[in-house]
Amino acid sequence: MKQIDALIVANRQLAHQIWQMELAAPDLADDITGPGQFIEILISASWEKPLRRPMSIAGYTDGKLTIIYKIFGPSSHQLSQRAAGDYLSIMGPLGNTFTINNQLFPILIGGGVGLAPVWWLHRKLEAAGTAHALILGARSGEEHFIESQPDKNILLTTDDGSAGIAGTVLVPLPAILANNPNSMVFSCGPEPMLRAIQEFTADKQLPAQLSVESYMACGLGICQGCAIKTDGARNKPFSLVCTDGPVFDAGELDFG
Amino acid sequence: MPGSLILVDLSTNLGRRQFANPVFVASGTFGYGFEVERLADISKLGAIVTKSVTLEPRTGNPPPRIVETTGGMINSIGLANVGVERYISDYLPQLQGGGADFIMNIAGSTSDEYLKVLEKVEAISTDIAGYEINISCPNVSEGGMEFGVSADQTARLTRRLRKRTERLLIMKLSPNVTDITAIGLAAQDNGADAVSAINTLVGMSIDINSQRPDIYRTLGGLSGPAIKPVGIASVYKLARKLSIPIIGIGGITSAEDVIEYTLAGASAVQIGTANFRDPACGINIINDLRSRLEDSNIDRYQSLIGQVKTYQ
Ligand SMILES: Cc1cc2nc3c(=O)[nH]c(=O)nc-3n(C[C@H](O)[C@H](O)[C@H](O)COP(=O)(O)O)c2cc1C
Ligand code: FES
Repeated sequence: MKQIDALIVANRQLAHQIWQMELAAPDLADDITGPGQFIEILISASWEKPLRRPMSIAGYTDGKLTIIYKIFGPSSHQLSQRAAGDYLSIMGPLGNTFTINNQLFPILIGGGVGLAPVWWLHRKLEAAGTAHALILGARSGEEHFIESQPDKNILLTTDDGSAGIAGTVLVPLPAILANNPNSMVFSCGPEPMLRAIQEFTADKQLPAQLSVESYMACGLGICQGCAIKTDGARNKPFSLVCTDGPVFDAGELDFG
Repeated sequence: MPGSLILVDLSTNLGRRQFANPVFVASGTFGYGFEVERLADISKLGAIVTKSVTLEPRTGNPPPRIVETTGGMINSIGLANVGVERYISDYLPQLQGGGADFIMNIAGSTSDEYLKVLEKVEAISTDIAGYEINISCPNVSEGGMEFGVSADQTARLTRRLRKRTERLLIMKLSPNVTDITAIGLAAQDNGADAVSAINTLVGMSIDINSQRPDIYRTLGGLSGPAIKPVGIASVYKLARKLSIPIIGIGGITSAEDVIEYTLAGASAVQIGTANFRDPACGINIINDLRSRLEDSNIDRYQSLIGQVKTYQ
């Protein structure tokens, strides 16, 4: 884990309010372990916003680190205004990773801002030639940046039905499970989505790992600010998203 | 001769104890020190004040515990900590090896609890520099702040602790009081070697969409650059009434802030929230402070203490 000023190699829009930034971060190579890990970004030198923003890593190849982010406030807007050639202060990589079980068919589910780690996992499995399914959910078609490829188990859903399958990310799940009963779910996204996946997988007795988000101050396990309820799992009522997570077994989480 | 090098003496004194420089890191914002060893040379810090330790381990308050605000943040951690036994067995050994002076921050809900924690540490052999007593945490329902808002309770607690240690004893004061100098005097008159000020200010923010407070416990403690003027004023008021040294805390992000606190009357400072943004900021601030004093031909940091030139 390091704190570095990383050169912005590219920063471009992928879809409506969805952006991708590529950073030169060869110094982080030794500490990169995989999807789930995140970095803490300093958006601006001004102290108006004192804290860094945690941002999941969406890819790391040849020393280049990618993030995918959604514009939903002043900070993410500011990030989208940064140009290639600028430097961005980042700290990381931080946090744990998804753990693939070789006996189980991986079903990857991503939604909204939480798409990054799932995307990275997808790319890694693809590169390794590991069969898997990918479901990406959005409110509407303009937020999607890839085409669905049902023959390859790459499925898109939209709340408004403007692209792919109408409905939530849960809609295509039963069909995938029918073909692959021994599956494991890996997901990251907004809390209502994670909650729904937690319920669904508990009901079907499917193992699942969820990557969760929380406000963070330090990212290092120091401030105790990123605590979430974990219902006694790991022998404590609260766990730290930054150092115990961000990936948890679905059963450990207590969304309250 | 332009560019001539003067050797700046950054050392400062608290009680009988001398520190290599006046830049410390504040309790709760630097863990137990070694967590950031990978990012910064912590041995260069004036001192590390460790996270508040209580008699029993505490799991802390339910989330959400923090929120960012303009120029600051609100926290309600609820003194989550490992408890004194584990502090002694797991953390002290690592701290001793870290090369920095360190000060143990203690919290409790009764004066007996504070005392027991201190006695447990006094009973072992350690090179701990001293104790900072947190009588100002706004985030627990019992104890904590009640000591810090009452001059009588502060007096009694300080007196009891003083009898049990020869080490540096610092009382950490709350800004959430009518007259901070009354509490400071109670600490001084009962044997405290120094006071530190300020802990967080009671703060609150609301998400107008959900109409819920951003913090589970509704109220929390505000910290960061937004509170710096309150910290400066507190140090200034204390400095005019007290003869013991004052440690300035609140919103420090730069060497200029350190100098400002010093002019107001601080003999040392602590950096809090800024550590979250850059764990190495304390080291950078020490280097900047040295260059700034060099540039202004000031050869002793301590010569600046309390030198504010007021209009009246
Ligand atoms: C997340 C967080 C946790 C804190 N925990 C403690 C603590 O355990 N004990 C304590 O005495 N002060 C604690 N503080 C208060 C700080 O030590 C400091 O007094 C305060 O934050 C003001 O300084 P700053 O504006 O530089 O942050 C905490 C502050 C923050 C932001
Ligand atoms: S963000 Fe500080 S402990 Fe997790």
